[in-house]
Amino acid sequence: MAMTAKERVLTVLTGGVPDRKPVLSVCQYATYGLMEKTGAFWPEAHYDGKAMAELALGGASVLHLDAVRVPFCQTVEAEIFGSTIKNGGKTHIPSIETPAFTLDDKPIIPAGFTDRGRIPAILEAITRCRKAVGEDVAVMGSIVGPFSVAANIIGIATLLKASLRKPEKLLPFFSAAEKTAEAYADAVINAGADVIVIEDMMASLDMISPKTYRTLAFPYEKQLVDHIGGRIPVIIHICGKLDMVMNDIAATGVSAISVESAVDIAKVKKQFFDAGISVPVFGSVHPIRVLLEGNKDDVIKAVRKSVEDGADAISPDCAVAPETPLENLIAMTEAVASL
Amino acid sequence: MADTILAKLKQSILDFDEDAALEAAEESIEAGIDPVAAVGALAEALNELGIAFEKMEVFLPEIMLASDAFKNALSVLEPEIKKKNAEGKKAIPIVIGTVQGDIHQVGKDMVATFLATAGFEVYDLGVDVAPSRFLEEAKRLDAKIIAAAALMSTTRPVQKDLIDFLEAKGVRDKYIVLVGGGVVTQDWAEQIRADGYGQDAIAAVELAKKLLHVA
Repeated sequence: MAMTAKERVLTVLTGGVPDRKPVLSVCQYATYGLMEKTGAFWPEAHYDGKAMAELALGGASVLHLDAVRVPFCQTVEAEIFGSTIKNGGKTHIPSIETPAFTLDDKPIIPAGFTDRGRIPAILEAITRCRKAVGEDVAVMGSIVGPFSVAANIIGIATLLKASLRKPEKLLPFFSAAEKTAEAYADAVINAGADVIVIEDMMASLDMISPKTYRTLAFPYEKQLVDHIGGRIPVIIHICGKLDMVMNDIAATGVSAISVESAVDIAKVKKQFFDAGISVPVFGSVHPIRVLLEGNKDDVIKAVRKSVEDGADAISPDCAVAPETPLENLIAMTEAVASL
Repeated sequence: MADTILAKLKQSILDFDEDAALEAAEESIEAGIDPVAAVGALAEALNELGIAFEKMEVFLPEIMLASDAFKNALSVLEPEIKKKNAEGKKAIPIVIGTVQGDIHQVGKDMVATFLATAGFEVYDLGVDVAPSRFLEEAKRLDAKIIAAAALMSTTRPVQKDLIDFLEAKGVRDKYIVLVGGGVVTQDWAEQIRADGYGQDAIAAVELAKKLLHVA
């Protein structure tokens, strides 16, 4: 029996068997082509709830993804903490200009965190998306993981060096980032999201060692997942080659793990099976080599490879580059639908 | 004696020990060791760490601290090398930076450091560098090479913006444009008509030398 897109996504996230593999983009998927089609453009779509929703909804109406998501950047929390943000204009996502704190500062959590910055616009966008797609398509609200928020508020270089030299000085920053993530997650749930995505892109083995992941990233991810407490499913996305910490990530209690193609999904699935871990793994169509630079055949091949490797849902590795051709993204969803 | 000091230099990098690196560098100069040989010992250690990094035996924070230690030692050794080179030919200026909208620093720093050790006069413009600023500084410094890093799929197009900008200003032929960064590929470099792509810091140095026809 055919399922709706939302049923398909939620079925996989709750351990069931869907009618076919879901196809979604765990990270951002807005492209210049999608902006043309939806009439909602950056930078407005980073700041305005209506434009944000319109652009995100193109994920369903134009790309035929099984889930839509907001926002498009990873700077929302850091901005509220006081990091200065560079507006990315029409073509780029906002980025961190100057981190809010130095290592010697004490992080201060601004009162009424979820009423500040762009969070109200994001919550509005979630509610608008919910209304627009009804129960047909899954709506995902994405928040940044505690480790990565900490990186965005004290600077990644500072964080990485301190992770070896003075890890104890980082703890208040992780703690503050986790506490605010709890409040943000509550607000995302109240706004009507079906799924929370935690993007903890910096908690990657491209950045830190497995030991640092276990001591400085994992505890706060787990605390956040525990706080969400199964109210809605959680997908975590971490970049890079994660094979050495996949079992740890699973132990955060998330409903699914989204990985890049650097991760050997077939091997991980076997490793999970042997360890009695049933957490689904989502991935992994390469956003540059395949989606941006490849052609339709490359996309079909990459989708097939992910399916053969046992990915439980098909997703680009990471953020889709904004100049990615629409036809490649559509080829991805068509390839999955025709399986 | 010289061997002990060179070994000490190398070890200071492997231990990512900034203070030991500086101390050993000063010691090497006092002992009259060729500063180029001293930098060689440091580079050897960085290479070893690089290989261990590839194998995921050491991770980025270690590399960053090692790179700090390296820079510390270099701050003492570089002036000595310059003194020696003063009679020789002038070092070739290069401007380097991470493109606008992108604040990734580590990889670009590594390339800048390696280029400097290879004898180039490196002007590091930092991160989030606009195309106009690349050109302005390149003009001012009479640079031969502009090296632009992009580390995000969302900022890679800015490398093309930079090249388009140089073309629009009619100065594209005056500069060798090198591109690099985690999301950059040879295909991309060709597509945007960059002059070269280096996969890592060592490749970037080789490329710069090749394109400038120096050693």
